[in-house]
Amino acid sequence: MKEPGSVHGITEMERREFLKLGLKITGVIAGGSILSVVALPEKEARALVDMETYDGSPYNPHYCMVIRQNHCVDCELCKEACVKTNSVPDYGYRTTILEKRLKDPEGREFSSFLPVLCNHCMNPPCVRVCPTKATIKDEKTGIVIMIDHKCIGCKTCMAACPYNARYFNEEKRAIDKCNFCLDTRLSKGKKTTACAEACPANVRVFGDLADRKSEVWKLTHEPDKAIWVLRPETGAKPVIFYRND
Amino acid sequence: MSKMKIVLCLLSMFFFMAVPVMGQDDEGEDYPQEPIIFTKPVKAVIFSHKTHVEDNGLDCDSCHDEPFEMAAGTAEENDDFNMEALYEGNYCGQCHDGETAFASNKRCTLCHIGVKGYNRLQGSTAPEKEKKGH
Repeated sequence: MKEPGSVHGITEMERREFLKLGLKITGVIAGGSILSVVALPEKEARALVDMETYDGSPYNPHYCMVIRQNHCVDCELCKEACVKTNSVPDYGYRTTILEKRLKDPEGREFSSFLPVLCNHCMNPPCVRVCPTKATIKDEKTGIVIMIDHKCIGCKTCMAACPYNARYFNEEKRAIDKCNFCLDTRLSKGKKTTACAEACPANVRVFGDLADRKSEVWKLTHEPDKAIWVLRPETGAKPVIFYRND
Repeated sequence: MSKMKIVLCLLSMFFFMAVPVMGQDDEGEDYPQEPIIFTKPVKAVIFSHKTHVEDNGLDCDSCHDEPFEMAAGTAEENDDFNMEALYEGNYCGQCHDGETAFASNKRCTLCHIGVKGYNRLQGSTAPEKEKKGH
């Protein structure tokens, strides 16, 4: 319902288009035909996520991932590579692809696919709630890791995670989750995660946000490209960034 | 009733059942009613004869035997059956070039139905793992 003076009913795309123009929608008047807009400060206009708030993070390298969402075709080669690399059992997952069914203007059905994994948050709710400090943020890289022998399997972190990125691994008797292949690849000198390497469409771009020459930094700092994160309202400050193209 | 009568009866039943199928041949060219699903090099891509013939007015000659042979799955066996080839104007890219039809590098998921779309078409009722949780 579009009510006078409310921004309700404005789609995310509409909002984004206005943000790109440097305008913020503050209300809807006359049944949605007239929008009330104000000019945005320059940095807000650039993207839905203010990338400047990620500057000066304590991590170096600060590993993150940029997901070029509209290139994902759900081939799930990422999931296959992850399972193989990290010995993920068939009842678990470290990354997944969500699907939304949509219709184009001609009425043809298509899907929008959304790759999801641990967001390696700057303020991780899982770390905050863990009673035994079994899940922590790696001091060097910012990767949210598990210390398996400390985990008592209480699953509080599973409930706290805004991204449903954790499962209980029966064999390990501990929670398991994405760790950007820290133990299986990065520590062995490989430069990227298994999922990013497996992706045929270069949807998942892994890299160091602290390095201004890195591809991830460039992808998240293009002036006319909107960047968004999942569930920003939680304040977890995730480092999995989404954009199109 | 003689054996002859039964045979005639069965023959006539067969004839009447066959008529609608044969009638279709008279009205237009025949094509597979079920969509073709490609699973190589990635799972999965859907191709609908119905859309291309009925909505876009193509006939068999438009795509057969060039760029696609009649036998379904033939193109899939080629090493160059990939997006790069499409961008160069081969296979689907002969039409999907941004002029004749939408470009091959646009609207990915109209054709790429993914593993989820593939499972849906297979009638897989296996519960999706990601749906469980808190």
